Amino acid sequence: MAELNETIHQTVRLRIMAVLATLEPTDEVDFSYLRDLLEVTDGNLGAHLRKLEEAGYIAVNKTFVERKPRSFVSATPEGRRVFQEHVAALEAILKSK
Amino acid sequence: MNVSPSEAEEALTAIRSMAQKTRQSIASSGAYITLIATGIVWLIGFMCTQFLQGVVVVYIWIGLSILGSILGVVLGMRMGKRVRSPSTAPIAKRIGLFWLLLVLYGIAAIVLARPTDGKQVTMFVILFIMLGQLAMGLLFSFSSVWWALPVTTLALVGYFLLPDIFYLWMAILGGGGMIALGLYIRSRW
Repeated sequence: MAELNETIHQTVRLRIMAVLATLEPTDEVDFSYLRDLLEVTDGNLGAHLRKLEEAGYIAVNKTFVERKPRSFVSATPEGRRVFQEHVAALEAILKSK
Repeated sequence: MNVSPSEAEEALTAIRSMAQKTRQSIASSGAYITLIATGIVWLIGFMCTQFLQGVVVVYIWIGLSILGSILGVVLGMRMGKRVRSPSTAPIAKRIGLFWLLLVLYGIAAIVLARPTDGKQVTMFVILFIMLGQLAMGLLFSFSSVWWALPVTTLALVGYFLLPDIFYLWMAILGGGGMIALGLYIRSRW
């Protein structure tokens, strides 16, 4: 049976994973793009990304684009698996209502 | 961890909403705009080909092609700044080379086949461009592959069954169809 994930269930982290899981597995999004999409502050997003990165659910790729530092974020295969499982668990709760 | 049904519903709604917002955001970066822009190019270009004559038609097509190419590059750069795909980055040169070779093969085919009129040349160009689009779609995204098939079918139907209004047919159904599809993708996503 699918299990709920405490790390992912937090509102902002859930929305982060929803964005990343919508992308193709090899795609990654720019930090500022993610911030604008989620309508959160830099600090707030950074803190939640760190938690997800520590759990191994996302990967943060720091690089330079046109000599400017940029961070690109993507979901790891483990992150996608855990997220799908979390969604399945939520759906199971609704069905059992 | 305990989650009530109402909390679960709330979480699932948030997930669906974010997924939709992401798709809309990506679509607005490129997909639907590209289709609409290509549709407008076809609409204007084929309309002019149907109703105008002489070298002015060639100039109109050259102008439209340049505008379309610039738009494609701008959209590609805009898209690359937001979402990027590491797997496609190393093969970007190969994609460029593929289209270059396809153009050369298309020119070679036209030279060898010696088409007798503008409609045959147009069909050659449409077939090669749609073949390239199909190859790109099959290699990179199944979701973008299918629209090349109806456009090719429409072109063939117009060529064989409606030769007198072939360009008008391509303007309205080919160009108009792409514009409609672009608007549909925008509203659906």
